[in-house]
Amino acid sequence: MAKIDLVKLRKTFGAFVAVQGLDMQIVDGEFLIMLGPSGCGKTTTLNMIAGLEGASSGHILFDGVDVTDAPPHERNVAMVFQSSLLYPHLTVRRNIETSLRHSKITDAERKRRIAEAARMLEIEPFMDKLPGHLSGGQRQRVATAKAIVREPSVFLLDEPLSALDAALRLSLRSELVNLQKRLGTTTVFVTHDQVEAMTMGDRIAVINGGRLEQIGTPDEIYNAPSTVFVAGFLGSPPMNLLEGEVSGGFFRRGQLAVPVTGAAGKVTLGVRPQDVLVVEPGTAGAMPVTVFAVEHLGRESVLIADDEHGAKVRALVPPGWHARVGERLAITPEPARCLLFGADGNRILEPLARAA
Amino acid sequence: MAKRSFFLYLAIAVAIVWSLFPIYWFCRMAFLTPDQIRLFPQPFLPGVFELGAFYNIFGYDYTYAAGFSTGASGQSNQIIRGVFNGLFISGVVTVITLIIVLPLAYVFARMDFRHKEKLLFAVLLSVALPPVSTLIPFYSMYVQLGLTGTRFGLILVTLTITVPFVAWMLIGYFRNVPPIERLARIDGYSRMSCFLTLILPLSKSGIAVAAVIAFLFSWNEYTYALVLVNGTSANTLPPAISGFLAQYPEPGNLAASIIVTIIPPALFAFFLQRHVTEMSLVDPVR
Repeated sequence: MAKIDLVKLRKTFGAFVAVQGLDMQIVDGEFLIMLGPSGCGKTTTLNMIAGLEGASSGHILFDGVDVTDAPPHERNVAMVFQSSLLYPHLTVRRNIETSLRHSKITDAERKRRIAEAARMLEIEPFMDKLPGHLSGGQRQRVATAKAIVREPSVFLLDEPLSALDAALRLSLRSELVNLQKRLGTTTVFVTHDQVEAMTMGDRIAVINGGRLEQIGTPDEIYNAPSTVFVAGFLGSPPMNLLEGEVSGGFFRRGQLAVPVTGAAGKVTLGVRPQDVLVVEPGTAGAMPVTVFAVEHLGRESVLIADDEHGAKVRALVPPGWHARVGERLAITPEPARCLLFGADGNRILEPLARAA
Repeated sequence: MAKRSFFLYLAIAVAIVWSLFPIYWFCRMAFLTPDQIRLFPQPFLPGVFELGAFYNIFGYDYTYAAGFSTGASGQSNQIIRGVFNGLFISGVVTVITLIIVLPLAYVFARMDFRHKEKLLFAVLLSVALPPVSTLIPFYSMYVQLGLTGTRFGLILVTLTITVPFVAWMLIGYFRNVPPIERLARIDGYSRMSCFLTLILPLSKSGIAVAAVIAFLFSWNEYTYALVLVNGTSANTLPPAISGFLAQYPEPGNLAASIIVTIIPPALFAFFLQRHVTEMSLVDPVR
């Protein structure tokens, strides 16, 4: 159990800045997701928390104790690596045992803990097999058992599900969350998969280009993104981001006019597909579009259309809705649900849209 | 489909004939009696298997069942020495090669340091040098140092072949070992203990293959041995066998010596095969 503070954490590789001045607090017992595109510095940050990589500057505190320069095994962390890395030449049991090398516990306690971990992860039938003879999902369970057997204060998971097939990922996702809640161990989980992030995390830290874009609950991240990057990165189908200009109390882009207040100049308007209405062509203030495709998702369908400037716009439509490719329609966003982002990419707070 | 499998079998048949026919040829020769060798055409199989040629090359006279006898070969002292020197020199070369190469290859494969690329190039460049090109410098150096005709001298010069070649092979092997160092550090292993207690046992197939290759390179080394130790008490088998060519032709003895020479490689190939299949078992764990 531990709370982790990252203070102005910075990591450079030669001239390349992987992590720049990261300030973040990880609350005791929470399931924190670090989400970002590949190469954004999230794995580097995780490695620094683990102690596998030294920080170029800044500090890492576990429960207020500076561990920036402590080697990994003194931090009492457990880590599950990408594609569930295990020692290939050791049996499952020996793999789990190596986690306890430095724990000063009795043999009986050691046996009890291994048996307990094996029971929790349901890996008893293959304790004496080599990792090479297990399936991907079984290896993932073994890697998790190896991690929990140490009873660490922090769990670090580096895209542990990325190598598994979709169905298995789905079931292991909930298993991992369930396990974390039962154990109550502070967990940091790195992923580039926004669905994993939304479904698993207590909080999500969105990282881009070595910088923290936003940290918050999935609800905050989804409904109140603080930057254009966060808005565009989360959500499927993705948020519509329309560049335009504010003048005379209206956001304008071509014929589109959305009433807004509290902004001026060049801005980006963000609106989720479910908040976009399809209307008759020629409606005042609506944006004329040409149908590009309709994707049927079962419970709903997604209209993908080109606007006058060639940008793709997405709108959710009821199932069974039809349109021919090339058909001319118009769309209008729901003003109260629109978000405005300034030229610097940050959200302009309180866009105070007037009810049209 | 049928056509493809026909060509596949044809290719396999060609490969088998290609590699086995020479072996058949000198095995047959080794067991033919001197009378049979003089016949034309020679019989495809010796009628009876008699070990006359083997007795001769190890310094014994032999009386064939037909009544005539052959004398001990004049080359026998060189052959006997060759077997023992070869085993000793190859064994020592193998051990020293592994002691040098295992840490070297691991470091080049798994760590980053300054001038790594240039150093790696320097190590591997010596694989590309044919032994003949360094033969004369080595010879004149060895004469001055008094190392010609010594086993120590031959071990030293053989290492210049085995070390870079085995390093080349093992660097590739270590690169493909799963990245367990990170896991090991979380578990509290030092770099050294990770290498000794995890990486080495994990790599035993690759190390076994490397050891066999070092042994065979040393066992079969001919160029340096011919110039540096031939005719001395430090002689090895390949130059000793070539000595038959300079003598009154005894094809039977020559063939018998070749059989003696290929016994260790044949045994090793047997073990190698087991480990090569094991290597592919270790791999999918990544």
